[in-house]
Amino acid sequence: MALFGKKDKYVRINPNRSLKREVERDVPEVPDELFAKCPACKHMIYQKDLGVAKICPSCSYNFRISAQERLALTVDEASFEELFTGIETKDPLNFPKYSEKLSQARAATGLDEAVLTGKANIRGQKVALAIMDSNFIMASMGTVVGEKLTRLFELAIDEKLPVVIFTASGGARMQEGIMSLMQMAKVSAAVKRHSNAGLFYLTILTDPTTGGVTASFAMEGDIILAEPQALVGFAGRRVIETTVRENLPDDFQKAEFLLEHGFVDAIVKRTDMPDVIANLVAFHGGAK
Amino acid sequence: MFKKLLIANRGEIAVRIIRAARELGISTVAVYSEADKESLHVALADEAICIGPARSVDSYLNMNSVLSAAIVTGAQAIHPGFGFLSENSKFATMCEEMRIKFIGPSASVMDKMGDKINARAEMIKANVPVIPGSDGEVYTAEEALAIADKLGYPVMLKASAGGGGKGIRKVDSSRELTAAFESASQEAQAAFGNGAMYIEKVIYPARHIEVQILGDSFGNVVHLGERDCSLQRNNQKVLEESPSIAIGKTLREKIGAAAVRAAKAVKYENAGTIEFLLDEKTSKFYFMEMNTRVQVEHPVTEFVTGIDIVKEQIRIAAGEALSVTQDEIEIKGHAIECRINAENPAFNFAPSPGKITDLHLPSGGVGLRVDSAVYNGYTIPPYYDSMIAKIIVHGENRFEALMKMQRALYELEIEGVVTNTEFQLDLIADPHVIAGDYDTSFLMETFLPNYNKED
Repeated sequence: MALFGKKDKYVRINPNRSLKREVERDVPEVPDELFAKCPACKHMIYQKDLGVAKICPSCSYNFRISAQERLALTVDEASFEELFTGIETKDPLNFPKYSEKLSQARAATGLDEAVLTGKANIRGQKVALAIMDSNFIMASMGTVVGEKLTRLFELAIDEKLPVVIFTASGGARMQEGIMSLMQMAKVSAAVKRHSNAGLFYLTILTDPTTGGVTASFAMEGDIILAEPQALVGFAGRRVIETTVRENLPDDFQKAEFLLEHGFVDAIVKRTDMPDVIANLVAFHGGAK
Repeated sequence: MFKKLLIANRGEIAVRIIRAARELGISTVAVYSEADKESLHVALADEAICIGPARSVDSYLNMNSVLSAAIVTGAQAIHPGFGFLSENSKFATMCEEMRIKFIGPSASVMDKMGDKINARAEMIKANVPVIPGSDGEVYTAEEALAIADKLGYPVMLKASAGGGGKGIRKVDSSRELTAAFESASQEAQAAFGNGAMYIEKVIYPARHIEVQILGDSFGNVVHLGERDCSLQRNNQKVLEESPSIAIGKTLREKIGAAAVRAAKAVKYENAGTIEFLLDEKTSKFYFMEMNTRVQVEHPVTEFVTGIDIVKEQIRIAAGEALSVTQDEIEIKGHAIECRINAENPAFNFAPSPGKITDLHLPSGGVGLRVDSAVYNGYTIPPYYDSMIAKIIVHGENRFEALMKMQRALYELEIEGVVTNTEFQLDLIADPHVIAGDYDTSFLMETFLPNYNKED
């Protein structure tokens, strides 16, 4: 509309100009913590809309959460008994800055290593539980992660408990070299012994579960669940694309793609997870 | 005072707010949907930001978009107008978190008055008469039956988490109650996840009387008299006037004082309206609900009091004290507003969007005001409310106001779309309306049946 072209000259008498005593008003600003960007749909999400379960209201992507948050969402109140703490992480290769990195990760997460292990009740079902936390050096699998998981399976065999693991990992911990890779075999052997004892093992793949963890215990569950849109794979997308010289589908390495191709048994929303876990554990006989 | 104000609305109310802001020397930011590119509020504002597609949920109701527009333009305050985000406490909270002043009451007051049972309890505490009903939530049909028998029929069953007409049943006798309760409660459970109900006696027919109040951040609250909005079609107001012919000086003081008590009880800040039902036979009035925003019909109050409500809203939000005290407020003359909608009364008032090919809005004389956002050549989009103009007149007395309204409606010419102008002309010429003898049942039960017969 061609009306009001005189706009910029419109207000000549401005009452506000003469008011010298005017206090400066705040300029609007967005506090850093107010919004989160959904990594999946890229929408800006008002933090409070994510709720305690941290689920994107727009695309239902399940945001990455800490092991402690996961614990609170999953287990019955006050039922968790933490086990296998205090195993010291060594720096066998004298890898540059590894010790600093470890102490930073400990301070930032409040965890002693990338996995939280213990016993808990989920909707009344007694389980041996492990939760990996991607905030701790991308939940990479070092010797201590492998050791804690192995001991968890051994405890589960002794006490005839089902094992539930929430996996998340960037893969092997490169700072520990070959010792890290060895954990794949070590944990897998423990899984096998647990299985031979006729006990139930459930894995829940969360965003991101990759590398050596995918190549070992994450995919060894009797039943494998995943959270919506979780990234699950071995090598990264770029590595594969440059190796095979092909464009991969958009949803490649997404939980939904894996479900379609038979690598995952079901995709379960975080809020439904405790019920689903408890039902599955109960169907398979629970703690014996 | 603010330097820049964003108006999170469209249509005539957006234009009204832009005008008030400009008179206060505040620069304005309009927001608009893709369908409103050619709207008057966009042309009038100093800056305009497109906030999304035509559908309201994607644009005018999209909080992230509206707030982003405020951030990028540096607007220090947001006026929400009415409808859209105006009574959304989450939006008010988000504004506060971003250091943007939301022009309206605080989020907590909005929540308090938005929850019907809570509002009712607050009013009982403040000694404001409420519609006789249950003391709190009712969970079983047996409980409901006992309460309803005591109140006397008819009663209204309402979902306590309700809204949008869901979970509401009118019950005329105790025989119908159990079945009505079960189905309403189930409906409420399905719609809101909460099957709790409450019960109110039906005050019908009655007069819909609402009191305009203003409160500032210093705890001052005044009322600006009442509006009579009894002429309604399907709960939509059609014509409003102030003062109400059904209210004398004593009753006005009583109902005004009750409204001020109500506002003070919840520490209300900014403009608000307390709606009452008035039983003319007994002169008893009952609190219905509070609207925590400016209303469509605010100009009639502005005419009879001489107070610019929108400017007061902005001043209050900027932390200034009310510009008037209760003693200084005087109701002078009589004001009437007719809502002009792009709708077809011959086809059950179906919306009639389209292009306005010829337009003449009435003007001239003392005491005539037209609030509108249409212009010649404007295309009314089909996505929003069908109200296109408000004709407001002010006369020495009610009769002069009616004559002036008749004159104004005669002058109104809108070509290209069907409007309810003729309908309004017929309505104000009805002997009952001329005599002021109408209640909330009149339009639907008396006027319209005869009106349709004549056609």
